[in-house]
Amino acid sequence: MGPLVFQRGCQTRALHSTDAEVQTVSTAVSSTQTEPQDHVTEQLLQHEEPEPPGLRDFLRQVEDRVIKELVKNARSHAFDGYQVNWEDQSQLVSCRHRLQHPSAQERSLHVTSVSWSCTGSVIACAYGRIDEGDWGTEKSHVCTWNLDRRGLNPKQPDLVIDVPTTVTALSFHPNQPSLIAGGLYTGEVVVWDTSHTQDPVMAQTGMSADSHREPVYQVDWVPLQKRGEFGVLSASSGGRVLLWTLDPDQGGFVLSAGYALVRQQVPHSSRSNYKARGSSHVGVTALALSPWDSDIFLVGSEGGLLLKCSFSSQTLAAAPSEGQSVTLRAPAVFSFRPRNSPIHSIHCSPFHRNLFLSVGTDGLAHLHSLLQTNPLLSVRVSDSYVFDVRWSPTRPLVFAAATGQGVVQIFDLGRRSLRPAATIDQGGANQAATCLAFNSQNPHLLAVGKTDGTVNIWHLSADLTEQSPRETVQLELMAREVVGLHV
Amino acid sequence: MAEVEETLKRIQSQKGVQGIIIVNSEGIPIKTTMDNSSTVQYVGLIHQLVMKARSTLRDLDPQNDLTFLRIRSKKNEIMIAPDKDYFLIVIQNPSD
Repeated sequence: MGPLVFQRGCQTRALHSTDAEVQTVSTAVSSTQTEPQDHVTEQLLQHEEPEPPGLRDFLRQVEDRVIKELVKNARSHAFDGYQVNWEDQSQLVSCRHRLQHPSAQERSLHVTSVSWSCTGSVIACAYGRIDEGDWGTEKSHVCTWNLDRRGLNPKQPDLVIDVPTTVTALSFHPNQPSLIAGGLYTGEVVVWDTSHTQDPVMAQTGMSADSHREPVYQVDWVPLQKRGEFGVLSASSGGRVLLWTLDPDQGGFVLSAGYALVRQQVPHSSRSNYKARGSSHVGVTALALSPWDSDIFLVGSEGGLLLKCSFSSQTLAAAPSEGQSVTLRAPAVFSFRPRNSPIHSIHCSPFHRNLFLSVGTDGLAHLHSLLQTNPLLSVRVSDSYVFDVRWSPTRPLVFAAATGQGVVQIFDLGRRSLRPAATIDQGGANQAATCLAFNSQNPHLLAVGKTDGTVNIWHLSADLTEQSPRETVQLELMAREVVGLHV
Repeated sequence: MAEVEETLKRIQSQKGVQGIIIVNSEGIPIKTTMDNSSTVQYVGLIHQLVMKARSTLRDLDPQNDLTFLRIRSKKNEIMIAPDKDYFLIVIQNPSD
Protein backbone atom coordinates (compact mmCIF):
# COMPACT_ATOMS: atom_id res chain seq x y z
CA MET A 1 0.00 0.00 0.00
CA GLY A 2 1.47 3.37 -0.95
CA PRO A 3 1.58 6.51 1.32
CA LEU A 4 -1.64 8.49 1.62
CA VAL A 5 -1.55 11.45 -0.58
CA PHE A 6 -3.94 14.30 -0.44
CA GLN A 7 -4.18 17.03 -2.83
CA ARG A 8 -5.79 20.33 -2.16
CA GLY A 9 -6.04 23.43 -4.15
CA CYS A 10 -7.73 26.79 -3.82
CA GLN A 11 -8.53 29.57 -6.06
CA THR A 12 -9.94 33.02 -5.55
CA ARG A 13 -12.90 34.14 -7.36
CA ALA A 14 -12.04 36.11 -10.45
CA LEU A 15 -10.65 39.57 -9.56
CA HIS A 16 -12.24 42.47 -11.31
CA SER A 17 -10.04 45.42 -12.12
CA THR A 18 -10.53 48.55 -14.09
CA ASP A 19 -8.43 51.58 -15.07
CA ALA A 20 -9.57 55.14 -14.89
CA GLU A 21 -7.90 58.54 -15.41
CA VAL A 22 -8.77 61.99 -14.14
CA GLN A 23 -7.76 65.41 -15.40
CA THR A 24 -8.67 68.87 -14.24
CA VAL A 25 -10.65 70.76 -16.75
CA SER A 26 -10.47 74.20 -15.14
CA THR A 27 -8.21 75.71 -12.38
CA ALA A 28 -8.63 78.53 -9.87
CA VAL A 29 -6.07 80.08 -7.47
CA SER A 30 -7.01 81.31 -4.05
CA SER A 31 -5.06 82.19 -0.87
CA THR A 32 -5.73 83.45 2.64
CA GLN A 33 -3.89 85.78 5.06
CA THR A 34 -4.60 87.03 8.57
CA GLU A 35 -5.03 90.75 9.13
CA PRO A 36 -3.47 92.60 12.12
CA GLN A 37 -5.96 92.26 14.93
CA ASP A 38 -7.35 95.22 16.81
CA HIS A 39 -6.48 95.65 20.47
CA VAL A 40 -10.10 95.42 21.37
CA THR A 41 -10.59 92.09 19.78
CA GLU A 42 -7.41 90.77 21.43
CA GLN A 43 -8.53 91.71 24.88
CA LEU A 44 -11.85 90.07 24.39
CA LEU A 45 -10.09 86.91 23.44
CA GLN A 46 -8.05 87.00 26.63
CA HIS A 47 -11.14 87.36 28.71
CA GLU A 48 -12.59 84.33 27.15
CA GLU A 49 -9.63 82.21 28.24
CA PRO A 50 -10.86 79.27 30.24
CA GLU A 51 -10.36 80.31 33.84
CA PRO A 52 -9.51 77.72 36.42
CA PRO A 53 -12.77 75.98 37.26
CA GLY A 54 -14.38 77.02 40.48
CA LEU A 55 -12.03 79.98 41.07
CA ARG A 56 -14.77 82.55 40.88
CA ASP A 57 -16.94 80.62 43.29
CA PHE A 58 -14.08 80.11 45.67
CA LEU A 59 -13.28 83.80 45.73
CA ARG A 60 -16.89 84.77 46.18
CA GLN A 61 -16.99 82.52 49.16
CA VAL A 62 -13.85 83.70 50.91
CA GLU A 63 -13.73 87.35 49.94
CA ASP A 64 -16.05 88.68 52.61
CA ARG A 65 -14.50 86.71 55.36
CA VAL A 66 -10.97 87.68 54.41
CA ILE A 67 -11.78 91.35 54.11
CA LYS A 68 -13.50 91.32 57.46
CA GLU A 69 -10.41 89.79 59.06
CA LEU A 70 -8.09 92.26 57.34
CA VAL A 71 -10.12 95.21 58.59
CA LYS A 72 -10.36 93.82 62.11
CA ASN A 73 -6.62 93.23 62.12
CA ALA A 74 -5.81 96.74 61.03
CA ARG A 75 -7.90 98.14 63.86
CA SER A 76 -6.91 95.67 66.53
CA HIS A 77 -4.73 96.58 69.47
CA ALA A 78 -4.60 93.02 70.70
CA PHE A 79 -0.94 92.55 69.94
CA ASP A 80 0.36 96.01 70.71
CA GLY A 81 3.64 95.73 72.54
CA TYR A 82 3.34 91.96 72.63
CA GLN A 83 6.72 90.35 72.39
CA VAL A 84 7.81 86.78 72.31
CA ASN A 85 11.17 85.54 73.49
CA TRP A 86 12.47 82.82 71.24
CA GLU A 87 16.04 83.14 72.23
CA ASP A 88 17.73 83.19 75.53
CA GLN A 89 17.06 86.81 76.33
CA SER A 90 19.88 88.24 78.31
CA GLN A 91 19.03 91.61 79.70
CA LEU A 92 22.58 92.30 80.64
CA VAL A 93 25.64 93.33 78.78
CA SER A 94 28.41 91.00 79.86
CA CYS A 95 32.08 90.76 79.15
CA ARG A 96 32.82 87.52 77.37
CA HIS A 97 36.57 87.78 76.98
CA ARG A 98 39.38 90.03 78.00
CA LEU A 99 42.13 89.52 75.47
CA GLN A 100 45.69 90.56 76.13
CA HIS A 101 49.13 90.07 74.69
CA PRO A 102 51.58 90.01 77.61
CA SER A 103 54.51 91.32 75.63
CA ALA A 104 52.51 94.33 74.43
CA GLN A 105 51.23 94.95 77.93
CA GLU A 106 54.72 94.95 79.39
CA ARG A 107 55.68 97.66 76.98
CA SER A 108 52.48 99.63 77.68
CA LEU A 109 51.30 99.55 74.12
CA HIS A 110 47.81 100.78 73.32
CA VAL A 111 45.33 98.96 71.14
CA THR A 112 44.98 101.20 68.10
CA SER A 113 42.54 99.26 65.95
CA VAL A 114 40.35 96.14 66.04
CA SER A 115 38.77 94.21 63.20
CA TRP A 116 36.61 91.09 62.92
CA SER A 117 37.21 88.58 60.14
CA CYS A 118 34.49 88.04 57.54
CA THR A 119 33.52 84.73 59.19
CA GLY A 120 33.04 86.44 62.53
CA SER A 121 35.21 84.03 64.48
CA VAL A 122 38.55 85.80 64.51
CA ILE A 123 39.31 89.14 66.10
CA ALA A 124 42.51 90.95 65.15
CA CYS A 125 43.98 93.88 67.00
CA ALA A 126 46.81 96.23 66.29
CA TYR A 127 49.10 97.64 68.92
CA GLY A 128 51.13 100.78 69.02
CA ARG A 129 51.26 104.21 70.53
CA ILE A 130 50.49 107.46 68.88
CA ASP A 131 50.85 109.88 71.72
CA GLU A 132 53.80 112.16 72.33
CA GLY A 133 57.32 111.10 72.12
CA ASP A 134 59.20 108.79 69.89
CA TRP A 135 56.71 106.00 70.27
CA GLY A 136 55.99 105.84 66.58
CA THR A 137 59.24 104.04 65.98
CA GLU A 138 58.60 101.47 68.67
CA LYS A 139 58.14 97.90 67.48
CA SER A 140 54.62 96.62 67.79
CA HIS A 141 52.36 93.71 66.93
CA VAL A 142 49.21 92.56 65.23
CA CYS A 143 47.54 89.75 67.17
CA THR A 144 44.64 87.51 66.31
CA TRP A 145 42.44 85.32 68.47
CA ASN A 146 39.96 82.75 67.18
CA LEU A 147 37.07 83.01 69.62
CA ASP A 148 35.32 79.89 68.35
CA ARG A 149 38.28 77.69 69.05
CA ARG A 150 38.18 75.46 72.07
CA GLY A 151 40.95 76.11 74.48
CA LEU A 152 41.00 79.81 73.73
CA ASN A 153 43.58 81.42 75.94
CA PRO A 154 42.78 85.10 76.36
CA LYS A 155 46.33 85.82 77.36
CA GLN A 156 47.84 84.12 74.38
CA PRO A 157 46.97 85.17 70.86
CA ASP A 158 46.68 82.50 68.18
CA LEU A 159 48.94 84.50 65.94
CA VAL A 160 51.36 87.32 66.67
CA ILE A 161 52.81 89.27 63.78
CA ASP A 162 55.76 91.48 64.68
CA VAL A 163 55.78 94.83 62.98
CA PRO A 164 58.75 97.20 63.07
CA THR A 165 56.65 100.25 63.82
CA THR A 166 53.30 101.28 65.32
CA VAL A 167 50.30 99.96 63.44
CA THR A 168 47.74 102.71 63.15
CA ALA A 169 44.97 101.06 61.13
CA LEU A 170 43.69 97.54 60.53
CA SER A 171 41.04 95.95 58.35
CA PHE A 172 40.15 92.34 57.56
CA HIS A 173 39.36 91.42 53.95
CA PRO A 174 35.58 91.25 53.35
CA ASN A 175 35.68 87.80 51.71
CA GLN A 176 38.99 86.11 52.41
CA PRO A 177 39.29 85.30 56.08
CA SER A 178 43.07 85.16 56.13
CA LEU A 179 43.96 88.56 54.69
CA ILE A 180 44.41 91.65 56.86
CA ALA A 181 45.35 95.11 55.59
CA GLY A 182 47.21 97.45 57.89
CA GLY A 183 48.45 101.00 57.88
CA LEU A 184 51.65 101.94 59.64
CA TYR A 185 52.98 105.00 61.40
CA THR A 186 55.69 105.30 58.74
CA GLY A 187 53.08 105.69 56.02
CA GLU A 188 53.38 102.18 54.67
CA VAL A 189 50.43 99.99 53.78
CA VAL A 190 50.80 96.25 54.35
CA VAL A 191 48.68 93.17 53.70
CA TRP A 192 49.31 90.15 55.88
CA ASP A 193 48.21 86.64 55.01
CA THR A 194 47.58 84.88 58.30
CA SER A 195 47.64 81.46 56.69
CA HIS A 196 51.38 81.84 56.06
CA THR A 197 52.71 81.65 59.56
CA GLN A 198 56.35 81.76 58.51
CA ASP A 199 56.22 84.96 56.56
CA PRO A 200 52.84 86.56 56.78
CA VAL A 201 53.67 89.71 54.82
CA MET A 202 51.94 89.31 51.49
CA ALA A 203 52.43 92.80 50.12
CA GLN A 204 53.71 96.11 51.31
CA THR A 205 54.10 99.50 49.75
CA GLY A 206 57.55 100.14 51.05
CA MET A 207 59.04 103.61 51.00
CA SER A 208 58.61 104.56 47.39
CA ALA A 209 57.64 107.81 45.71
CA ASP A 210 54.10 106.48 45.59
CA SER A 211 53.62 105.81 49.26
CA HIS A 212 52.44 108.01 52.09
CA ARG A 213 54.95 109.99 54.10
CA GLU A 214 52.76 110.43 57.15
CA PRO A 215 50.97 107.93 59.40
CA VAL A 216 48.18 106.02 57.72
CA TYR A 217 45.14 106.45 59.95
CA GLN A 218 42.69 104.37 58.00
CA VAL A 219 42.74 101.44 55.60
CA ASP A 220 39.69 99.97 53.92
CA TRP A 221 39.03 97.28 51.33
CA VAL A 222 37.26 98.72 48.31
CA PRO A 223 35.43 96.66 45.68
CA LEU A 224 37.05 97.16 42.29
CA GLN A 225 35.51 97.21 38.83
CA LYS A 226 36.04 93.51 38.42
CA ARG A 227 33.61 91.64 40.64
CA GLY A 228 35.15 89.84 43.57
CA GLU A 229 38.35 91.83 43.47
CA PHE A 230 39.24 94.33 46.13
CA GLY A 231 41.77 97.09 46.40
CA VAL A 232 43.06 98.81 49.52
CA LEU A 233 42.25 102.45 50.17
CA SER A 234 44.61 104.20 52.57
CA ALA A 235 44.38 107.67 54.07
CA SER A 236 47.11 109.53 55.88
CA SER A 237 47.58 112.74 57.77
CA GLY A 238 49.70 113.93 54.86
CA GLY A 239 46.46 114.66 53.03
CA ARG A 240 46.68 111.78 50.62
CA VAL A 241 44.07 109.11 49.95
CA LEU A 242 45.54 106.33 47.81
CA LEU A 243 43.94 103.34 46.14
CA TRP A 244 46.21 100.31 45.82
CA THR A 245 45.69 97.08 43.92
CA LEU A 246 47.49 93.88 44.76
CA ASP A 247 49.90 92.62 42.16
CA PRO A 248 49.99 88.83 42.60
CA ASP A 249 53.03 88.35 40.36
CA GLN A 250 55.30 90.86 41.96
CA GLY A 251 53.90 90.33 45.43
CA GLY A 252 53.49 94.02 45.96
CA PHE A 253 51.12 96.92 45.57
CA VAL A 254 50.41 98.93 42.48
CA LEU A 255 49.12 102.45 42.96
CA SER A 256 45.94 102.54 40.95
CA ALA A 257 44.57 105.99 41.85
CA GLY A 258 45.66 108.83 44.08
CA TYR A 259 43.79 111.71 45.63
CA ALA A 260 45.28 114.71 47.38
CA LEU A 261 43.29 116.98 49.63
CA VAL A 262 44.51 120.52 49.51
CA ARG A 263 43.02 123.40 51.50
CA GLN A 264 42.44 125.62 48.48
CA GLN A 265 40.47 122.93 46.69
CA VAL A 266 38.06 122.24 49.51
CA PRO A 267 34.57 123.35 48.44
CA HIS A 268 33.34 126.09 50.72
CA SER A 269 29.81 125.86 52.03
CA SER A 270 28.19 129.27 52.20
CA ARG A 271 27.98 129.39 55.95
CA SER A 272 31.38 128.06 56.78
CA ASN A 273 33.79 130.47 58.35
CA TYR A 274 36.62 128.03 58.40
CA LYS A 275 39.88 129.90 58.43
CA ALA A 276 42.88 128.44 56.77
CA ARG A 277 45.73 127.89 59.13
CA GLY A 278 48.86 125.91 59.12
CA SER A 279 49.98 123.92 56.13
CA SER A 280 47.98 123.70 52.98
CA HIS A 281 47.30 119.99 53.01
CA VAL A 282 44.30 118.51 54.79
CA GLY A 283 45.47 115.85 57.23
CA VAL A 284 43.04 112.94 56.95
CA THR A 285 42.20 111.27 60.25
CA ALA A 286 38.98 109.50 59.34
CA LEU A 287 37.70 107.76 56.23
CA ALA A 288 34.44 106.02 55.44
CA LEU A 289 33.16 104.20 52.38
CA SER A 290 29.50 104.24 51.46
CA PRO A 291 27.96 100.77 51.19
CA TRP A 292 25.25 102.25 48.95
CA ASP A 293 27.19 104.26 46.39
CA SER A 294 30.53 102.93 45.29
CA ASP A 295 31.63 106.30 43.98
CA ILE A 296 31.37 108.15 47.27
CA PHE A 297 33.74 108.22 50.20
CA LEU A 298 33.78 110.51 53.22
CA VAL A 299 36.84 112.11 54.74
CA GLY A 300 37.38 113.75 58.13
CA SER A 301 40.41 115.85 58.92
CA GLU A 302 42.48 116.83 61.91
CA GLY A 303 41.28 120.39 61.36
CA GLY A 304 37.64 119.39 61.69
CA LEU A 305 36.74 119.34 58.02
CA LEU A 306 34.16 116.82 56.89
CA LEU A 307 34.08 116.24 53.15
CA LYS A 308 32.16 114.17 50.65
CA CYS A 309 34.52 112.89 47.98
CA SER A 310 34.12 111.12 44.70
CA PHE A 311 36.35 108.40 43.27
CA SER A 312 35.57 109.53 39.78
CA SER A 313 36.52 113.17 40.26
CA GLN A 314 38.60 114.42 37.37
CA THR A 315 39.88 117.66 38.89
CA LEU A 316 43.65 117.69 39.18
CA ALA A 317 45.03 118.22 42.65
CA ALA A 318 46.91 121.44 43.27
CA ALA A 319 49.62 119.56 45.08
CA PRO A 320 53.23 119.46 43.97
CA SER A 321 54.05 116.27 42.18
CA GLU A 322 56.47 114.09 44.10
CA GLY A 323 57.16 111.67 41.31
CA GLN A 324 54.12 109.49 41.83
CA SER A 325 53.19 107.04 39.13
CA VAL A 326 49.63 108.34 38.89
CA THR A 327 48.34 111.89 38.67
CA LEU A 328 46.80 113.03 41.90
CA ARG A 329 43.23 114.26 41.76
CA ALA A 330 41.21 116.46 44.04
CA PRO A 331 38.29 114.33 45.21
CA ALA A 332 36.27 116.69 47.42
CA VAL A 333 32.86 117.57 45.98
CA PHE A 334 30.91 118.76 49.01
CA SER A 335 31.77 120.21 52.38
CA PHE A 336 29.71 119.55 55.50
CA ARG A 337 29.71 121.99 58.39
CA PRO A 338 33.22 121.85 59.83
CA ARG A 339 33.97 121.30 63.50
CA ASN A 340 36.54 122.99 65.65
CA SER A 341 38.52 119.92 66.45
CA PRO A 342 39.82 116.75 64.80
CA ILE A 343 37.34 114.20 63.50
CA HIS A 344 38.31 110.72 64.62
CA SER A 345 35.75 108.49 63.03
CA ILE A 346 33.01 108.44 60.39
CA HIS A 347 30.61 105.58 59.67
CA CYS A 348 27.89 105.32 57.00
CA SER A 349 24.58 103.78 58.02
CA PRO A 350 24.06 100.23 56.75
CA PHE A 351 20.31 100.91 56.69
CA HIS A 352 19.93 104.27 54.97
CA ARG A 353 21.84 105.56 51.99
CA ASN A 354 21.99 109.20 53.09
CA LEU A 355 22.87 108.93 56.76
CA PHE A 356 26.24 108.84 58.45
CA LEU A 357 27.74 109.57 61.86
CA SER A 358 30.88 111.47 62.73
CA VAL A 359 32.66 111.89 66.07
CA GLY A 360 35.67 113.82 67.20
CA THR A 361 37.58 115.44 69.99
CA ASP A 362 34.68 117.73 70.90
CA GLY A 363 32.79 114.81 72.47
CA LEU A 364 29.80 115.08 70.15
CA ALA A 365 28.36 112.60 67.68
CA HIS A 366 26.77 114.26 64.68
CA LEU A 367 24.15 112.51 62.56
CA HIS A 368 24.48 113.88 59.04
CA SER A 369 22.59 113.48 55.84
CA LEU A 370 24.60 113.46 52.63
CA LEU A 371 22.15 115.99 51.29
CA GLN A 372 22.86 118.95 53.56
CA THR A 373 25.74 120.76 55.25
CA ASN A 374 24.34 120.97 58.76
CA PRO A 375 23.98 117.86 60.88
CA LEU A 376 20.49 116.49 61.45
CA LEU A 377 21.19 115.73 65.07
CA SER A 378 23.94 116.36 67.59
CA VAL A 379 24.33 113.96 70.51
CA ARG A 380 26.55 114.65 73.51
CA VAL A 381 28.45 111.41 73.92
CA SER A 382 31.08 112.37 76.44
CA ASP A 383 32.85 115.25 78.09
CA SER A 384 36.09 114.07 76.64
CA TYR A 385 37.28 112.81 73.29
CA VAL A 386 35.33 110.31 71.25
CA PHE A 387 37.62 108.07 69.28
CA ASP A 388 35.39 105.75 67.32
CA VAL A 389 31.75 105.36 66.31
CA ARG A 390 29.98 102.42 64.65
CA TRP A 391 26.38 101.83 63.65
CA SER A 392 24.85 98.57 64.86
CA PRO A 393 24.66 95.97 62.07
CA THR A 394 21.18 94.86 63.15
CA ARG A 395 19.38 97.83 64.66
CA PRO A 396 19.00 100.78 62.29
CA LEU A 397 18.67 103.32 65.11
CA VAL A 398 21.50 102.14 67.36
CA PHE A 399 25.15 103.16 67.41
CA ALA A 400 28.08 102.73 69.77
CA ALA A 401 30.81 105.28 70.53
CA ALA A 402 34.18 104.76 72.24
CA THR A 403 35.23 107.58 74.55
CA GLY A 404 38.44 108.89 76.05
CA GLN A 405 37.12 108.10 79.51
CA GLY A 406 37.27 104.41 78.66
CA VAL A 407 33.51 104.09 78.50
CA VAL A 408 31.52 102.87 75.47
CA GLN A 409 28.17 104.59 75.12
CA ILE A 410 25.41 102.95 73.13
CA PHE A 411 22.66 105.22 71.84
CA ASP A 412 19.20 104.34 70.57
CA LEU A 413 17.84 107.11 68.37
CA GLY A 414 14.36 105.66 68.68
CA ARG A 415 14.16 106.69 72.28
CA ARG A 416 12.80 110.11 73.08
CA SER A 417 15.61 111.00 75.42
CA LEU A 418 19.13 111.37 74.06
CA ARG A 419 20.75 109.75 77.01
CA PRO A 420 22.62 106.57 76.25
CA ALA A 421 20.63 103.33 76.09
CA ALA A 422 23.55 101.49 77.63
CA THR A 423 26.95 102.32 79.04
CA ILE A 424 29.77 99.83 79.03
CA ASP A 425 32.30 100.70 81.67
CA GLN A 426 35.10 98.30 82.29
CA GLY A 427 36.49 100.48 85.03
CA GLY A 428 40.07 101.69 85.05
CA ALA A 429 39.72 105.40 84.46
CA ASN A 430 42.46 107.10 82.48
CA GLN A 431 42.33 104.25 80.07
CA ALA A 432 40.69 105.47 76.88
CA ALA A 433 38.63 103.23 74.63
CA THR A 434 40.24 103.83 71.27
CA CYS A 435 38.40 101.61 68.84
CA LEU A 436 35.41 99.35 68.56
CA ALA A 437 33.94 96.90 66.09
CA PHE A 438 30.62 95.06 65.86
CA ASN A 439 30.72 91.45 64.71
CA SER A 440 28.40 91.33 61.70
CA GLN A 441 28.15 87.53 61.71
CA ASN A 442 27.28 87.41 65.37
CA PRO A 443 25.71 90.78 66.10
CA HIS A 444 25.62 90.28 69.86
CA LEU A 445 29.37 90.72 70.05
CA LEU A 446 31.15 94.05 70.29
CA ALA A 447 34.95 94.30 70.50
CA VAL A 448 36.46 97.30 72.28
CA GLY A 449 40.18 98.12 72.35
CA LYS A 450 41.68 100.27 75.07
CA THR A 451 44.86 102.10 75.88
CA ASP A 452 45.67 99.60 78.61
CA GLY A 453 46.38 97.07 75.87
CA THR A 454 43.27 94.96 76.34
CA VAL A 455 40.58 94.01 73.87
CA ASN A 456 37.29 93.31 75.59
CA ILE A 457 34.62 91.28 73.82
CA TRP A 458 31.20 92.27 75.09
CA HIS A 459 27.99 90.31 74.66
CA LEU A 460 25.13 92.77 74.18
CA SER A 461 21.66 92.32 75.58
CA ALA A 462 18.78 91.37 73.33
CA ASP A 463 17.14 94.77 73.33
CA LEU A 464 20.29 96.31 71.89
CA THR A 465 20.53 93.85 69.04
CA GLU A 466 17.02 92.82 68.03
CA GLN A 467 15.37 94.98 65.47
CA SER A 468 11.92 96.20 66.36
CA PRO A 469 9.26 96.35 63.62
CA ARG A 470 9.18 100.07 62.94
CA GLU A 471 12.84 100.97 63.09
CA THR A 472 13.56 101.25 59.41
CA VAL A 473 10.55 103.54 59.03
CA GLN A 474 11.68 105.74 61.92
CA LEU A 475 15.14 106.03 60.40
CA GLU A 476 13.64 107.03 57.09
CA LEU A 477 11.61 109.75 58.79
CA MET A 478 14.72 111.04 60.50
CA ALA A 479 16.58 111.17 57.22
CA ARG A 480 13.76 113.15 55.64
CA GLU A 481 14.13 115.99 58.12
CA VAL A 482 16.57 117.59 55.74
CA VAL A 483 15.82 121.28 55.42
CA GLY A 484 13.91 122.00 52.28
CA LEU A 485 12.98 118.41 51.56
CA HIS A 486 9.25 117.94 51.86
CA VAL A 487 8.01 114.60 53.07
CA MET B 1 -11.67 86.70 34.78
CA ALA B 2 -12.65 90.32 35.31
CA GLU B 3 -14.54 89.40 38.42
CA VAL B 4 -11.48 87.62 39.79
CA GLU B 5 -9.33 90.66 39.13
CA GLU B 6 -11.89 92.93 40.79
CA THR B 7 -11.97 90.77 43.89
CA LEU B 8 -8.21 90.79 44.15
CA LYS B 9 -8.16 94.56 43.77
CA ARG B 10 -10.66 94.94 46.59
CA ILE B 11 -8.55 92.80 48.88
CA GLN B 12 -5.33 94.54 47.87
CA SER B 13 -6.81 97.92 48.73
CA GLN B 14 -7.31 97.00 52.38
CA LYS B 15 -4.97 98.68 54.85
CA GLY B 16 -1.50 97.19 55.04
CA VAL B 17 -1.92 94.40 52.49
CA GLN B 18 1.50 93.55 51.12
CA GLY B 19 0.70 90.64 48.84
CA ILE B 20 -1.95 88.16 47.69
CA ILE B 21 -1.40 84.69 46.26
CA ILE B 22 -3.98 82.16 45.03
CA VAL B 23 -2.74 78.58 45.01
CA ASN B 24 -4.48 75.54 43.56
CA SER B 25 -4.85 72.16 45.25
CA GLU B 26 -1.58 70.95 43.75
CA GLY B 27 0.41 73.77 45.30
CA ILE B 28 0.86 75.73 42.10
CA PRO B 29 0.32 79.50 42.32
CA ILE B 30 -2.22 80.66 39.77
CA LYS B 31 -2.50 84.34 40.67
CA THR B 32 -0.11 86.56 42.55
CA THR B 33 0.59 90.23 43.24
CA MET B 34 4.18 89.59 44.31
CA ASP B 35 7.37 88.88 42.37
CA ASN B 36 8.01 85.34 41.17
CA SER B 37 10.74 84.30 43.54
CA SER B 38 8.87 85.45 46.66
CA THR B 39 5.69 83.80 45.42
CA VAL B 40 7.39 80.48 44.85
CA GLN B 41 9.00 80.64 48.28
CA TYR B 42 5.76 81.44 50.10
CA VAL B 43 3.72 78.85 48.25
CA GLY B 44 6.12 75.99 48.77
CA LEU B 45 6.40 76.57 52.50
CA ILE B 46 2.82 77.56 53.26
CA HIS B 47 1.25 74.65 51.42
CA GLN B 48 3.04 72.20 53.71
CA LEU B 49 2.08 74.22 56.76
CA VAL B 50 -1.61 74.26 55.84
CA MET B 51 -1.62 70.52 55.25
CA LYS B 52 0.01 69.98 58.61
CA ALA B 53 -2.43 72.29 60.39
CA ARG B 54 -5.38 70.54 58.79
CA SER B 55 -4.19 67.05 59.63
CA THR B 56 -3.45 68.13 63.22
CA LEU B 57 -7.03 69.31 63.69
CA ARG B 58 -8.54 66.24 62.09
CA ASP B 59 -6.38 63.93 64.19
CA LEU B 60 -7.56 65.69 67.31
CA ASP B 61 -11.17 65.45 66.22
CA PRO B 62 -12.13 63.73 62.98
CA GLN B 63 -15.36 65.73 62.79
CA ASN B 64 -13.46 69.00 62.82
CA ASP B 65 -11.74 70.74 59.94
CA LEU B 66 -9.55 73.77 59.25
CA THR B 67 -11.43 76.91 58.24
CA PHE B 68 -8.86 79.69 58.51
CA LEU B 69 -5.17 79.96 59.43
CA ARG B 70 -3.41 83.07 60.69
CA ILE B 71 0.30 83.30 61.41
CA ARG B 72 1.31 86.37 63.32
CA SER B 73 5.00 87.34 63.25
CA LYS B 74 7.11 90.24 64.46
CA LYS B 75 6.91 91.98 61.12
CA ASN B 76 3.51 91.04 59.63
CA GLU B 77 0.62 88.57 59.54
CA ILE B 78 -0.06 85.82 56.99
CA MET B 79 -3.72 84.79 56.53
CA ILE B 80 -4.75 81.67 54.70
CA ALA B 81 -8.29 80.82 53.64
CA PRO B 82 -8.26 77.16 52.56
CA ASP B 83 -10.74 75.27 50.44
CA LYS B 84 -10.99 72.00 48.57
CA ASP B 85 -9.58 73.36 45.33
CA TYR B 86 -7.76 76.57 46.20
CA PHE B 87 -6.04 78.53 48.96
CA LEU B 88 -6.03 82.28 49.28
CA ILE B 89 -2.91 83.70 50.99
CA VAL B 90 -2.87 87.33 52.09
CA ILE B 91 0.13 89.01 53.73
CA GLN B 92 -0.70 92.06 55.79
CA ASN B 93 1.31 94.43 57.92
CA PRO B 94 -1.42 95.84 60.15
CA SER B 95 0.66 98.69 61.53
CA ASP B 96 1.48 100.11 58.10
